[in-house]
Amino acid sequence: MSLTGELRRRLQMLFHRGRFQQELDEEMRLHVELRREQQMAAGADAEAARRAALRRFGNTARIREESQRAWGWEWLETLLQDAGYGMRAMLRTPAVTAVALLSLALGIGANTAIFSFLNAVMLRTLPVKDPQQLVKLGAENWDGITDSFACTELYSYPFYREFQRNNAVFSDTAAWFSIINDVHGFLDDRSEPEPIQVLTVSGTYFQTLGVEAQLGRMLDEADDSSEGDHPVVVISDRFWKRELGRDPGVLHHTIKLGDVVYQIVGVAPAEFFGTKVGQLPDAWAPLSMAGLIPPHWGQYKGDFSESLYIAGRLKPGVSMAQATANVNVLFRSILLSFPDALLTKQNLVNLNRAHVQLESMARGLSDLRHEYSEPLFVLMAIVALVLLIACANIANLLLARSTARARELALRQALGAGRMRMIRQLLTESMVLALAGGALGIGFAAAANRILLRMISQGAETVPLDVSLNLRLLAFTCAITIGTALLFGTLPALRATRLDLMESLKSGRGATAGAGRTPLARILVVSQVAISLLLMVGACLFQRTLINLSHVNTGFNPDHVLTLSIDSDAKNFKDNDPRENALFQQIETRVGALPGVEAASFSAFTFNQGSWNTTIVVPEMPLRRDADVMHNIIGNDYFRVMQIPLIAGRSFGPQDTATSQHVAIISEHMARTLFPAGSPIGRTYTIGSPDDGDTPLQEQVIGVAQDVKFGGLTEPPRYIDYLPYTQREWGYGDFEVRYTGDLGAISKEVQEAIHDVDRSLPISDVSTMSEQVNHSFTNETIIAELSAFFALVAVFLSCIGIYGVMSYLVGRRTGEIGIRMALGAGRAAVAWQVMREIAVLVAAGIAIGLPAALAGGRLVGGMLYGVSGTDPVSEAAAVAVLIAAGLLAGYLPARKASRIDPLTALRCE
Amino acid sequence: MAALIRRNAAADRGRDEIPPGTLYLLILKTLAVRGRLHGYEIAESILSCSDEVLQVEEGSLYPALQRMLIQGWVQAEWGVTTGNRRARYYTLTGAGKKQLGIEISQFERVMGAISRVLETA
Repeated sequence: MSLTGELRRRLQMLFHRGRFQQELDEEMRLHVELRREQQMAAGADAEAARRAALRRFGNTARIREESQRAWGWEWLETLLQDAGYGMRAMLRTPAVTAVALLSLALGIGANTAIFSFLNAVMLRTLPVKDPQQLVKLGAENWDGITDSFACTELYSYPFYREFQRNNAVFSDTAAWFSIINDVHGFLDDRSEPEPIQVLTVSGTYFQTLGVEAQLGRMLDEADDSSEGDHPVVVISDRFWKRELGRDPGVLHHTIKLGDVVYQIVGVAPAEFFGTKVGQLPDAWAPLSMAGLIPPHWGQYKGDFSESLYIAGRLKPGVSMAQATANVNVLFRSILLSFPDALLTKQNLVNLNRAHVQLESMARGLSDLRHEYSEPLFVLMAIVALVLLIACANIANLLLARSTARARELALRQALGAGRMRMIRQLLTESMVLALAGGALGIGFAAAANRILLRMISQGAETVPLDVSLNLRLLAFTCAITIGTALLFGTLPALRATRLDLMESLKSGRGATAGAGRTPLARILVVSQVAISLLLMVGACLFQRTLINLSHVNTGFNPDHVLTLSIDSDAKNFKDNDPRENALFQQIETRVGALPGVEAASFSAFTFNQGSWNTTIVVPEMPLRRDADVMHNIIGNDYFRVMQIPLIAGRSFGPQDTATSQHVAIISEHMARTLFPAGSPIGRTYTIGSPDDGDTPLQEQVIGVAQDVKFGGLTEPPRYIDYLPYTQREWGYGDFEVRYTGDLGAISKEVQEAIHDVDRSLPISDVSTMSEQVNHSFTNETIIAELSAFFALVAVFLSCIGIYGVMSYLVGRRTGEIGIRMALGAGRAAVAWQVMREIAVLVAAGIAIGLPAALAGGRLVGGMLYGVSGTDPVSEAAAVAVLIAAGLLAGYLPARKASRIDPLTALRCE
Repeated sequence: MAALIRRNAAADRGRDEIPPGTLYLLILKTLAVRGRLHGYEIAESILSCSDEVLQVEEGSLYPALQRMLIQGWVQAEWGVTTGNRRARYYTLTGAGKKQLGIEISQFERVMGAISRVLETA
């Protein structure tokens, strides 16, 4: 007797219920028929035989029911019955149902959407083999990264090789380049360059992760065995689809980067995105080729070219503590073993202080995680509160409905329906409502996810983050759906079934006047108001933060500046090729001469784009190791384009050439803090400290520029210096154009002018300076917009709650109000009485909500700018909004009460 | 004791005159001896074999047969009676034969215990 066989038979019965029932009936009919014939054969007359047969057979209806019960689907039938009943009940009150469904869909959908991001960014493990065993060196602590000796976040290639050979705790180790290379290359012999994101990885990378190719092979150790002669790449599923239309002959294609033609040897599995959440390389190349990607970069093998991440797979049984100890011992000995290690006193201090922290890499690396974890948790809290308000609303609706149904429920109880059975039925009805809301919510979440992805993405392509529906997400949605059904359904169900039968049956109305006081409904409304206030205060705080951020003085004028990137690497120039700077100058001149263009200039960076930092040495000043100077390499017209005022000295000009005295312009803050008192013009300083490996650069100060924001809007003044690209080569081309007139037209003309100079230059990232500035506070914008949206939804739902409860109360009290009016109460007095009740509810909600808002404000203090978490303006505004909303919601019921005709009301009674 | 547990106590209340819990045993044994039978034949067979002593409420055969179908003790197929009528015929399965053994030994254990109690009295 196998259990599965039994289940299979039961299911068969379920799906062929009609046929089974028919067969059973036929069988039973035959039995009675045969018995009747037997009785007649024994001599009974027709009527007696029929009765005897039926008597001996028993109660047919009961037997049929019992046979059915044998199959064990009774519960399902009851459930379907209840659900059907619930559905009909919902359709009887379409307006109420629509409001309930809409608020549920919004609540559940918003929760699902935010959770899908939380899941993708914070919770999901990498789609690789046993991700829990993966451990990375370093803690993604970017503040700790400088050019100083003994970096514990990034490592050099020789370090990786030594580490791979000597470590005792990892079964496999992998290294990969910390920056994805945005290069332009040619697919096969196409003439148009394609932007391709290439990540260079060690030959062990895929083996360590345990990722197998879906086509061809992944990279292996042999690809990384000798420098520069393994031109092979593995491409991502997305790239295969986008560029090659999933051509099964993909392994016959090549990608040309610079001079080198790379053979495509494999396609990564579709779900694999690498090791960084929110990033998806188009291709992976072996580190042996790193010196050529980008072309002619050439410096990956220095003992102190620290630009790799290292991770490993822990050997079985090795603890994190053992691994950490082993790694740190190795770290010191490997660094000390390098012949070019500059073991100055300071560097030895650094080395002794350095500690390599090991962290689980199960969930991969993620900048997104750092950036969005706090906002995501705040948003999660916000949408959870909105869902709570929606639940309170629906509970109120059900409460009102169950009071209206009191007679029906009492009648059924009187007829013998058990209380549990009735609670079950009411809860089933709630569940039907919740499931419908949940289903709508999933649709809503899908749309919301697309919008959110769009919001956090810059440029045309969205962040490659998989927020589509998956099992965990579905489980989460189901859980909150069932949770909400229980939350809003339980209290009304308990209330509805605890009735005084006699009272309810006697009259449909008067007897439930006791329920007219409905403390439960009031408590629900008060809590709605309190939560709405909390959300409203939050929204005001985030809104003010956003306003403050958009008014921050950046030090430059971001309006009317077009920005774009030109990948000069595609030209395949060697280092220090004078043709490169000549090309830059030609483009600057050509674009600068266009009508509508005021000035144009290249620069290494503009704003919020990263930086190149070093320490500097200023004669007569003490060495400040903590003072990182950010260097920007610019064209002669950069200050005109950005409208950064020069406070002293001059800007760069044609006189500053590769062979003339090296000159620099420094920021005000740098001049004041790092230079001796008095004018810094004419003074010299050195970029790079003697402890670092690079050749120091001697610079003479020729000007002082006003301070600008460089990394972000909220940063304190930075040390910034500017060097002309004629004197310090910089391959990447960020290009800025100050224009007047129409952006679209100018953008087109500028791109055409660049292509007139050189047709093969790939142009990308066309944007504006103000967009770049706005993008730097995307986080705050999203939070401000979403919190405002949800706060309004919350207030709206609370209004519906207030309106519903008050309308209901007024309806219940028609008689009472009629009597009062008959006794001489004026219409205004009646209306005032209703409004006063609303005022009490709203005031109670505010009294509870304010302290909560104060506490909540303190919690999110870190996400605010220029406003404190206990900002009285925000609180006052939120209180005002809620009072106004409450009065608005109460107006209609109050008017209705004041229009009651005493005669009609009394006649009804 | 699957059979006894599966039985709905309320089902055979009152007019059921066979000892409680033995309906399966009777059906299984009847099918084991007579092979392929339809419901009416099973009822008749039990009645005649017990010299008209065991009176089954005939209808209650059918819920029992349904439960036995689910348990996989019997199989059913449609056939034609000697009177040329469509009827559902039941046969014992392997699991049914095994179950018959279980039911018999269980019945004997209970009967033996009851007899011993009666003897000592």
